[in-house]
Amino acid sequence: MLPGRATTKAWPTNGDAVIIGIDTGGTNVDAALIDADGVVSTAKVPNAETGERIEAVLTDLLSSHDVDAVDRVVVATTLVVNAAVQHRLPPCSNVLVPGTGLAPDRAFFGEENLVAAGGIDPRGRVTEAVDIDDRPSEPVTAITAKFSARNPDLERTLRETFDGGPTALGSESGAGLTFPERAATTVANAKAKPLFDEYEADVEAAVAATGIEAPIYYLKGDGAMLAAESMANTPAHTLRGGSAASALGLIALTGESDAVTVDVGGTTTDVTRVVASYPAVERAIPEGDVEPAYDGVVSRSLPYGGDTHVVVEDGAPRLSAERVGNAVAFGGAEPTLTDALHVLGLFTDGDRDGAATAIESIGTGAPEDVSQAILAAYVDRVADAIADLAVDETETLVVGGVLAPYLGDRLGKAVSVPDVVVPEYAEVAGAVGCGVARVSVETAVHVDSARGVMTVTSIGPEDVEAVEQGRRYTNDQAKSIAVERAREAATRAGGDPDAPAEVRSFDRFSVVERTEVAGQIFDAVARIEPGIEYSFAGGR
Amino acid sequence: MSLGLVYDEDYLLHEHTPTHPERKERLQYTMDQLEEEGLLADPDVSIVEPSMATDEQLSRVHTQEYLERLRSMSASGTGMLSVDTHVSAHTWNTAKLAAGGVATAMDVVATGTHDSSFVMARPGGHHAFANDAHGFCYLNNTAVGITHLQAEYDVDRVLLWDWDAHHGDGTQSIFYDDPSVLVMSTHQDGMTLFPGTGDARDVGEGDGEGYNVNVPLPPKTSDEGYRTVVEEVFEPIAEQYDPDFVFIEAGQDNHFTDPITDLGVTAQGYVSLMEHAVDAADRLADGRLVASLAGGYGIEGGLPYTNLAVIATLLGLDTDAIREPAVYEPPSYEPDVSDVIDRVKRVQSDYWSI
Repeated sequence: MLPGRATTKAWPTNGDAVIIGIDTGGTNVDAALIDADGVVSTAKVPNAETGERIEAVLTDLLSSHDVDAVDRVVVATTLVVNAAVQHRLPPCSNVLVPGTGLAPDRAFFGEENLVAAGGIDPRGRVTEAVDIDDRPSEPVTAITAKFSARNPDLERTLRETFDGGPTALGSESGAGLTFPERAATTVANAKAKPLFDEYEADVEAAVAATGIEAPIYYLKGDGAMLAAESMANTPAHTLRGGSAASALGLIALTGESDAVTVDVGGTTTDVTRVVASYPAVERAIPEGDVEPAYDGVVSRSLPYGGDTHVVVEDGAPRLSAERVGNAVAFGGAEPTLTDALHVLGLFTDGDRDGAATAIESIGTGAPEDVSQAILAAYVDRVADAIADLAVDETETLVVGGVLAPYLGDRLGKAVSVPDVVVPEYAEVAGAVGCGVARVSVETAVHVDSARGVMTVTSIGPEDVEAVEQGRRYTNDQAKSIAVERAREAATRAGGDPDAPAEVRSFDRFSVVERTEVAGQIFDAVARIEPGIEYSFAGGR
Repeated sequence: MSLGLVYDEDYLLHEHTPTHPERKERLQYTMDQLEEEGLLADPDVSIVEPSMATDEQLSRVHTQEYLERLRSMSASGTGMLSVDTHVSAHTWNTAKLAAGGVATAMDVVATGTHDSSFVMARPGGHHAFANDAHGFCYLNNTAVGITHLQAEYDVDRVLLWDWDAHHGDGTQSIFYDDPSVLVMSTHQDGMTLFPGTGDARDVGEGDGEGYNVNVPLPPKTSDEGYRTVVEEVFEPIAEQYDPDFVFIEAGQDNHFTDPITDLGVTAQGYVSLMEHAVDAADRLADGRLVASLAGGYGIEGGLPYTNLAVIATLLGLDTDAIREPAVYEPPSYEPDVSDVIDRVKRVQSDYWSI
């Protein structure tokens, strides 16, 4: 098996197949078992992104289902983003081969930045040999050469020279990135690698322990999924994956094509926008210590949710932007937004008396008044985020999460959006979103038939192949090569080779050497169109 | 420093023949380099969409008879203005978009939208006369842009430095009697290169006498020779002319890898040329400067680096690492330019303290 290539079961899913989506957030691990017709079962276990909790939720989910029917397991994780914003990712040696051109400091994204000699020209030829005396001193290493998307050799040579710890290469970080973007992205991947590798091994063991033999996928920030091995190459792709899962799930559960979605979690509230039945996507998703240039869903992720701790400041109750544990109603020690909803009689599960006592202990007024103030503070913040993302035509708000039935109408009223939808299974929207994702990998093909070389850049090791020297291509021939390569890349990442593909950019011209046309160069970027595999509007 | 980079993919549509030196790859390797450097996504750089030159803009420069001849030749799908200047179906519109691109660049700088502008267009224009053209040119982009600038904005005097390796015979003829445009051309001596004109004694005529400066340089002239010319001719005359606006006809064919010329300028030499141009604009013209790509046929060894050099200089970026890859060997021979400079000074001393 080639590195970076996952083995996958046959595609597409057969009629009996089921998919497991797992959404791991700060508060719960949610899981949903779905098939082409809708949600089959759901499970929710509290806390902690560990293999043990994954195993627990799978066991719960599969208690009455046949593990052999499981076609794939798709996971959204916030592990990397949480570590990035809490500054827990390891420092990185960023090794650059900038060649000639602008000063390399435009690509300095590491705690240590080393500059190697060497150069690749726009045609992918090595014009200067790579050379460096320094050695990386940080625990992880990123190596990025200018024009490495046209020739990965210099990066590979350096990796062998260093022979060190976890290392990410620019040429393996994905297509369509400029040199500074590729450096930033490669640093993000290198930093995320140790954490993700450990988590991935845990998940794999947990899935195996439940007897499931299906392949495991992870959700990217743009709402497409990747086979585990591909994600291990580019773990910065997990950033925004949680927001993407929520958005996809709420789209699939409601069939809404244009809306703002709100997913109220225990620790955070994610607000996204849906345009033409898919989450709006933006380029570059900086989070905390890393700034990968990957696409991610447009999202406002607020540090407030059902378990947000209520504190007293200047004699008034205030949301603290941190979670200290469960609501008192669910055995926690400190008053939360959920406890306030209890006092107001909006939410009745759990220990109601405990919730009331906790809110009373805040001591700034009558429990009902305090609770109304807490709720208003939360609704205000979310309303700001909704208003930020909504457009004039936005008429629908889709709300997910355990508290959605109790908050949906208030949020709608606060932003004057008339149509508020809280679908069935709203409490596991993210898990459902994982289950309906599709594989999509941007793939760039650069052919230089004067040199007789083709490079294919997607996720994982760049392919460098020979092509017939001097060959000429029509536009259609060139584009179909790109589409074919995009399908191959998607298949390697576990996707459906027959899904619709698109060419996103294309350029072709002749190469003239000594007054003769010596061949052609073409550049094409293609991908399987991202999308939602199933829609469950109207239920089973 | 914000830069408006005027570019449109339609600049690739016009073609002579597949192996002609002035072919669309001239722009493509450069755009590849700019893209990979991250400059096209840089917050200080905006891609500015060119407008097509209007009839009014074109008729300020060209005769109706010539415009109609070019338009109908292009409409027929084939023709030639000279043996190496082919006309095809896309020529008319691409040429109008190139001329309009210079006018657009003038707009974005004159209105203060951007500090400076670079026009990444083809075909070029400085061999286009009022009523004819040759040398891979069709419409005089620069003249269309400058006359537009003077008609629409409060700009009296424009300093035009044409540093293309070839003498800008068309531009010289259009402004030959016009003191409001000081045309200064540094070029490889006409005895050794097309179009053969550009003699130091050609100083303009009528009201324009003294407002045309030609500096014909010997083959192989490289960075050092150009620096001397800039310091001893360009800068003193620019200072005395005191322009309201500086325009650079940025021919990148002085580069030592250029296959159809014989000069020796390096990418760092281009940094230096543009630094002097920016300095003159800053001191004399409130920083108002537009540059437009002219020639330059060293498609792989020259253009990506020379274009990056001038654009990075306009942006005020660190240019120290901009150079040709080591596989291209820069010239070691530097001819003596003192005779030429003395001759130019003798001629121009009738008009300038030089």
